Amino acid sequence: MSGEAHQEARDYTVDELMISVLSSFFEDGDQACNGMASFLPVSAFMLARLTHAPGLVWLASATGLEPRPAKVPASTLESQLWSDSVMYMEQYGDFWNYAMNGRWLQKFCVGAAQLDMYGNANNSVIGADFHTPKVRLPGTAGLGDMGSLGKLLYYWNPNHSPRSLVEKVDFVSAAGYLGGGDEREDLGLAGGPQAVVTNLAVLDFEPESKMMRLRSAHRGVTVDDIRAATGFELVIPTDVPTTPEPTEEQVRLIREVIDPDGMRRREFGR
Amino acid sequence: MANNKVTSIEEAIAAHVQHGDVVALQNMATQAAPMAAVRELIRQDKRGLGVVVLVGGIAVDWLSFASVMDRLIGAAVTMEQFGLCQRYRKAVEGGRVRVEELSETALNARLGAGARNLPYLPTRGLIGTDLIKQNPDNLRLVEDPFGGPAVVACRTLVPDVALVHAHRVDAEGNVQYKPTTLWPDIGIFPKAAKKVIVTAEEIVSSDILRRSPDRTVLPGFVVDAVVEVPYGAHPTSFFPEYRYDSDFHLAWAKVSRDDDAAQEFFDKHILGPSSHAEYLSAAGGAAMMSRLRGKECV
Repeated sequence: MSGEAHQEARDYTVDELMISVLSSFFEDGDQACNGMASFLPVSAFMLARLTHAPGLVWLASATGLEPRPAKVPASTLESQLWSDSVMYMEQYGDFWNYAMNGRWLQKFCVGAAQLDMYGNANNSVIGADFHTPKVRLPGTAGLGDMGSLGKLLYYWNPNHSPRSLVEKVDFVSAAGYLGGGDEREDLGLAGGPQAVVTNLAVLDFEPESKMMRLRSAHRGVTVDDIRAATGFELVIPTDVPTTPEPTEEQVRLIREVIDPDGMRRREFGR
Repeated sequence: MANNKVTSIEEAIAAHVQHGDVVALQNMATQAAPMAAVRELIRQDKRGLGVVVLVGGIAVDWLSFASVMDRLIGAAVTMEQFGLCQRYRKAVEGGRVRVEELSETALNARLGAGARNLPYLPTRGLIGTDLIKQNPDNLRLVEDPFGGPAVVACRTLVPDVALVHAHRVDAEGNVQYKPTTLWPDIGIFPKAAKKVIVTAEEIVSSDILRRSPDRTVLPGFVVDAVVEVPYGAHPTSFFPEYRYDSDFHLAWAKVSRDDDAAQEFFDKHILGPSSHAEYLSAAGGAAMMSRLRGKECV
């Protein structure tokens, strides 16, 4: 790698920053899979495979193993993403033989309508009554499994707001640290939420209380901005670094090779 | 032919689906739904159906709008890039469709227990979520009799009818898929159901199936009716034959929030056409079909 490749980019957009951060969580020897409407994780896996983690195994749409799509297509659940795979896995049955096993697919990216201070996720209902909700969300799909299977969970949220980052989710459709502290561990659940990558910041979880904590702020975003956009009191350390910025090479790869059609931007502004 | 099960979609649905039945649908968002059968459920004005589906898409939206279904047992409902299913949402929020939400492994376990005539199968998913306490009739945290950590018992689920769409089938109901991913688990739900209706892109002779028996994934003895419906999954995709129809999904998404416009769409695409050929013609005909078979990445 030339020195130039590691040059931090002067011009990048927040979607590119989020992809760069997400990609840093995945390494050689990991297996990654994605579900639907997952443009940022898919771009991050492709970026990792093209840069620091050529040995990252990718199971696209939990279906196509080691695919070689020409670019990020309009759906992350359809066959265009699995093109040129070495194996088609039967998603619903066979996929879970690997995912539940505990030895493989140990890291999972999660998008959720609501996420709370202990990393519990809600994709089920907004409102107090499950059967006549204010808003019926899509449903838990595989998240309700991934939260309880000892996976390391990496949340992404392109729309950091008090609506999406709430003190307590209306409904726990995927288990994070539940009520915090040792509650998750006491239920016999390993793993759990590791980080939350938003359009404003990167957050993690304070090891004892399991409360969400500010890890870094994106360039140009202040701690007050982040506080105002969060629906609960974040743990804020004395020193808040700037989120590591993507390199020029990463930005070029995202724009020219991975996602020339800009599908990644569809996730913003919802 | 000892067991000729070939029939029309009208007769298959009339004979095998009763009001109030629990109907399991093959579907994964924009993929592989038995749409010709779904339209026929609407045309015959079936009532009070429960729908079992892994991830429902436009099929569930239509069945909700037509008041055909009043309950859903599934892991999610969404048209992915085309947005949430607005009619389904409205029906749930208005209390007209009751949702039993399961994770993928819990639905898998319920249907797996149904297929094997077991009272339940366990999963390790869902522990810690509200989905367990929300559903005490079907999900219970139970001790591991062998001393390990607790697991979630997922009660057996036996749908009345399974609706399957396949690449090809013979007259006896032996079902083949082309090399494919077998989304969304043809492997389990038809074996759990009391009856199975198979629609297929083509009906072929058993001699054709004999050339590649490794592709036969469902034996004819589980199948009750066989119907030939080319493009029978439209507007969902049917890999590797054809892609999802973006324009069609977008057209529905655009009108679906408005009662009158949605009804107009229904009249044009579901209630109006008197045959599957007329449906395809209203949806764009030959130009649409060749567009969806094109190779370009979308």
